[in-house]
Amino acid sequence: MAKKHVICKTDELPLGERKIVTIGSRSIGVFNLKGEYFAMLNICPHQGAPLCEGPICGTNLTVDEYRYEYAHEDELVRCSRHGWEFNIRDGTAFEDPKIKAKTYPVSVEDGQVVVHV
Amino acid sequence: MYIVDCDCHNDWHSADVLLPYLEGWWRECYLRGEHTGPRGAFPHGHRAWFHPEDFRRADIKPTCEEEEYTLMRDKHLNPNNIDVAILTGEEALETSTLANPHYAMALAKANNDWMVNEWLPKDERFYGSIIVAPQDPELAAQEIRRLGDHPRLVQVLVSHGSTMPYGDPFYHPIYRACEEVGLPFSIHLGGNGGINTMPFANGSPRYFTEAHALFSQPAQTHLVSMIVNGVFEKFPTLKMVVIECGVSWVPPLLWRLDAEWRALRKEVPWLKHLPSEYCFEHVRFTTQPLEQPSKIEHLWAVLEAMQAKDTLMFASDYPHWDQDEISAIRLPEGWTPNVFGLNALKVYKRLSHLIPAAEAAATANVGAV
Repeated sequence: MAKKHVICKTDELPLGERKIVTIGSRSIGVFNLKGEYFAMLNICPHQGAPLCEGPICGTNLTVDEYRYEYAHEDELVRCSRHGWEFNIRDGTAFEDPKIKAKTYPVSVEDGQVVVHV
Repeated sequence: MYIVDCDCHNDWHSADVLLPYLEGWWRECYLRGEHTGPRGAFPHGHRAWFHPEDFRRADIKPTCEEEEYTLMRDKHLNPNNIDVAILTGEEALETSTLANPHYAMALAKANNDWMVNEWLPKDERFYGSIIVAPQDPELAAQEIRRLGDHPRLVQVLVSHGSTMPYGDPFYHPIYRACEEVGLPFSIHLGGNGGINTMPFANGSPRYFTEAHALFSQPAQTHLVSMIVNGVFEKFPTLKMVVIECGVSWVPPLLWRLDAEWRALRKEVPWLKHLPSEYCFEHVRFTTQPLEQPSKIEHLWAVLEAMQAKDTLMFASDYPHWDQDEISAIRLPEGWTPNVFGLNALKVYKRLSHLIPAAEAAATANVGAV
């Protein structure tokens, strides 16, 4: 059964920001994505690098011709080491959803961000 | 064993054979214009690295036009039991080095007509290549459409020397024409002088010995360029053949491309698959020169990594000095029917009617063992 861990007050994690916290032996990234909160294990499924410490970004959609269709602005985190991009909401790798970073449920209780690990 | 030779050079004794096929002013240019050599020399920008002996085998010294064929027949096609020989020309590939793309294409066109009229009728084993000068892609595309329906022309052929990497959109009219007529786009070592770029990274080596070992470099550039520029997305039925550029460099290059793709794909979002998947689906490689490590298992590991059972095709490179002896080509068990015949018969659509004969030969071989 998951335990609740209070991270901070909601106003201490503003829109578009993240916090890296240690819960037990785990390093976890907690994100404020457009007013919703998400938590992801700070380990990249690729080679174990600190995934959550990379840029928060958008990406370019797959297209048929030479052009760029930018999308998902601020909805992805790009691994700090090798640049694989993951959806902050569900941890799936943008390019291959079969690859998934570990995520944790987050709730807001009494104005506080709570991660369930 | 059914053998398709994917690189058999039909040379001329003198480029004067082209005269009946050069039209109008181009005939005057050839007759009175400047040449790179005495009368009979082919106008082209030569590479700067000269073989210290000769790039032909020492035992192939034709003394007249007719011997260009009879020596090939008697010293290669017959003794090696070649079933199909794909003619790849010789100096005509060097038209890519000329600055005037109209003259270049007139010479390439004359070569194609000469080959169709004077080589294909000589021997039913012969199939030909449409050689084009790629420096004006629209002119090249016109030539591809002019000859593209010929039943015995199996590919469009250019030199691997060029002014730019072949994936550049500048060249795409060539691929549109290839798709229209259903022929593969093939690159062959050559064209490393004149207007074309220095083929070796970081500048010129001093010796032919160095150059020969490094001639795979442009092929690497072209393969990466074709994949990354999305040529195989834009032209999904296009096939590419890489001739006489070696093979052992292919897997490491694909490993590197694939490994970096997830981080870099947002720069080239027109790619929908891993780079290696485009290569295995669309690109074929020929054997000569097949690398010769002292431990054959090292080569076999590389071949397996490039899915060579389905992507590798035999080529003799007759009559050049570094031709691989067929008996010296060692392949993993069970690969021979594919590499020596079936892979070529599949990628060269004009040869698909020969597949049953090749399959029958493969079955007969198994029975004999």
